[in-house]
Amino acid sequence: MNIIERIFIEPFQKCYENMLVFLPNLLTSIIILIVGIVFAYFLKMVISRILKAVKIDRFAERSGLFEVLLRGGVKESLSTLISKIIEWLIIFTFIIIAMQTLKIPTVEHLLEKLFMYLPNILVAAFILVLGYLLSSFFARAILIASVNAGIKCSGLIGKFTRLAVFVLAATMALEQLGVGKDTVVVAFTIIFGGLVLAAAIAVGLGGKDIAREYLEKRIKDGKDKDDIDYV
Amino acid sequence: MQAPQVNNELYAKIKTIGNTDIVVGIPSYNNARTIGHVVRAVQAGIAKYFPDKKAVLVNSDGGSTDGTMDVVQGTAIDDFSSILVSHKGEPFFKIATPYHGIPGKGSAFKTIFEIAEYLDAKACAVVDSDLRSITPEWIELLIKPVLYNDFDYVAPLYQRHKYDGTITNSIVYPLTRALYGKRVRQPIGGDFGFSGKLSRFFLTKDVWKTDVARYGIDIWMTVTAIANHFRICQSYLGAKIHDPKDPSTDLSSMLYQVVGSTFDLMEEYQQIWKGIEKSETVPVFGFFYDVGLEPVNVNVERMTETFRIGVKELGGLWANALTESITHFLGELSTRPIDDFRLPDDVWTEIVYRFALAAHKKMMNREHLLKSITPLYLGRTASFIIENRESNGQEVEESIERLCLTFETLKGDLLRGWA
Repeated sequence: MNIIERIFIEPFQKCYENMLVFLPNLLTSIIILIVGIVFAYFLKMVISRILKAVKIDRFAERSGLFEVLLRGGVKESLSTLISKIIEWLIIFTFIIIAMQTLKIPTVEHLLEKLFMYLPNILVAAFILVLGYLLSSFFARAILIASVNAGIKCSGLIGKFTRLAVFVLAATMALEQLGVGKDTVVVAFTIIFGGLVLAAAIAVGLGGKDIAREYLEKRIKDGKDKDDIDYV
Repeated sequence: MQAPQVNNELYAKIKTIGNTDIVVGIPSYNNARTIGHVVRAVQAGIAKYFPDKKAVLVNSDGGSTDGTMDVVQGTAIDDFSSILVSHKGEPFFKIATPYHGIPGKGSAFKTIFEIAEYLDAKACAVVDSDLRSITPEWIELLIKPVLYNDFDYVAPLYQRHKYDGTITNSIVYPLTRALYGKRVRQPIGGDFGFSGKLSRFFLTKDVWKTDVARYGIDIWMTVTAIANHFRICQSYLGAKIHDPKDPSTDLSSMLYQVVGSTFDLMEEYQQIWKGIEKSETVPVFGFFYDVGLEPVNVNVERMTETFRIGVKELGGLWANALTESITHFLGELSTRPIDDFRLPDDVWTEIVYRFALAAHKKMMNREHLLKSITPLYLGRTASFIIENRESNGQEVEESIERLCLTFETLKGDLLRGWA
C-alpha cells in the first residue's frame, strides 16, 4: 500500500498541487496576452490615424522613402507600416510579461537575459533599416550628380555608394550587437582602406595617361567647356 | 510704415534720404570688376532721363571679398558735361549694404524691395552687376513705362546670341507662355522695372526661404506679376552682354532652382493657368536695332555624351515620370550619330509636362526628380544647336515660336494629367 502510494498517488498529488499553483498563473498569462493583443490593436488604430493626420505618407512619397520601401518589397504605406510595427512590439512585450507571470524559473532566467539584450537588437535593427534607406537615397543622389557631370562610370559610382553606406550601417549594427566587436571594425577599416588604395593605384598607374589627357584638356586649352549663358 | 530689416546705420541713412521717386537695385557678389560700369550707367540714366526725380541706387551685396561695395561707393560721374549737354537735377543717393538670409539673388532682391518700401519709391528697377552692355537708356526703358504709362512690371527684351538663354528658350518661356497666356519673351532676363505697388506686393509673399531666394527669383517675379493681374509690358534693351559666367556655377543646380520655382508657381496659381487657353502679346517699348554679338563656344559632343549617359543610368528613374513611348524614343535617340541627333518639339514638350506632373504628384524626391532633367535638357540643347547651326537670328526665333505653339497645343495633356 505504502509503495503504491509513493509510486502512483504522491506524484499525482504533487502534480495536482503544482497544477493548482500553475493554473491561476496560466489563466493570468492568457488574460494578459488577450489584453495585450486588444490594447495593441487599438493603439495601432490610433497611431495609424495620427500618422495619417500629420500626412506622414505624403512626406514618405516626397522624400523618396515610399519608393525605397516599395523596392524593398514593402507595399504598405509608411503610416500602416509604423503602426503595425508598434502593434507587434506591444504584443511581443505582453507575451514576455505573460511568460513571466507563469513563474517558471528557466523561462524567467531566459527572459531576463533577453530583456538585457533586447535594446541592442532594436537599436541594431533601427540602424540597419536607416542604413538601407540612406544608402538608397545617397546612391541615387550621387548617381544623378555623376551623370550630370558627364562621368561615364556613374552607375558604378552609385552602386559603390549604396554598398559603402550599407556596409557602414551593417558594421555599426554588428558593433551594437557586440558580434566580434573589434574584428568587424578592423575588417571594415581594412576593406575600405584597401578599396581606396586600390582605386588610387588604379588611377595612378593604370589611368595616368587618361588622367593627364583629361586634365590637359580641361585646364590648358579649355576646349571642353562651352560659353553658353543658360539663363 | 514698417522699418526694413536692416542695421541701425543703414536705417539712419534711409531715414535721412526720405521719400524717393526711383530706386535702382543692383544685386552683387564679387563683381568689383564690372559693377563700376553699371553704377555709372545707372547714374547717367537717372541724370539724363529723370533729372527732376529723386533717385537712390541700392547695391545689395552677398558678402563680396573683392571690394565690390567699395567700388559702388567710390564710383561717380564727376563731369556730366562729357555725356550730357546740361545737367541740373536732384541729388543721387547710393546705398551699399550686405543682405541677410539664404545666399542668392532672391535674398538680395528682398533687401532692395524692403528699402524701396521704406523709401516709398514710385518706380524701381533691378539690373545685374556683371553687365557690360548696359547703357543709360536701359534705366529709361525700365522706369518710364512705370512712371508715365502706369505699367507695374517691365520685362526686358534683348538681342542675344542664338545659342544663349537655352533654359529660357526651351523651358521657361514656352511653359510660362502656355500656362499664363502672356508672351513675355525673357521671363528670367534678370533686369526688370516694377512699380512701388508691385514691390510691396512681392514683400507680402512668404517665399524667402525657398528657391525664390536663389535663381528662382526672376521667374517668381514675372509669374507673380502676371498671375495677379498687374499691368505688364516689355522694353527692348539691345544686346545683353555680361562677364563670362562663373565657372563654379552648376548648371544642374541652376536648372533645379529655376524649373523648381516654375513648378512651384504652377501649384500656387493652378486656378489661374487652368482657365487660360491661348496666349497674347504684351506691349513693347523701345527702338529695335541689330547688334553685333560675340561668338559663343559650344561643345555639342559633351552635351550628347551626357544625354547618352543619362539614358543609360537614369532611364529607370525617368520611367517613373515619362511614358513608355518617350522612354523608348530616348533609348533609340541615344544610339544615333550626332548629325541625326534630334529631340523634336512635341517630345520635348511632353517631357517637360510629364516632369511637371511628376513633381505635382510627388512621385519621387523633388530634388532628385528635378536634377535628373539635366541630361534631357542638354540633349534638347544639343538638338537645338545642331538644328540651328546655319540659321540666322530670325530663323531661330521662328523655331522657338514653333516650340511655344507646341506647348500651347499640348497643354490639354497637362490639364488632363493634373486633375
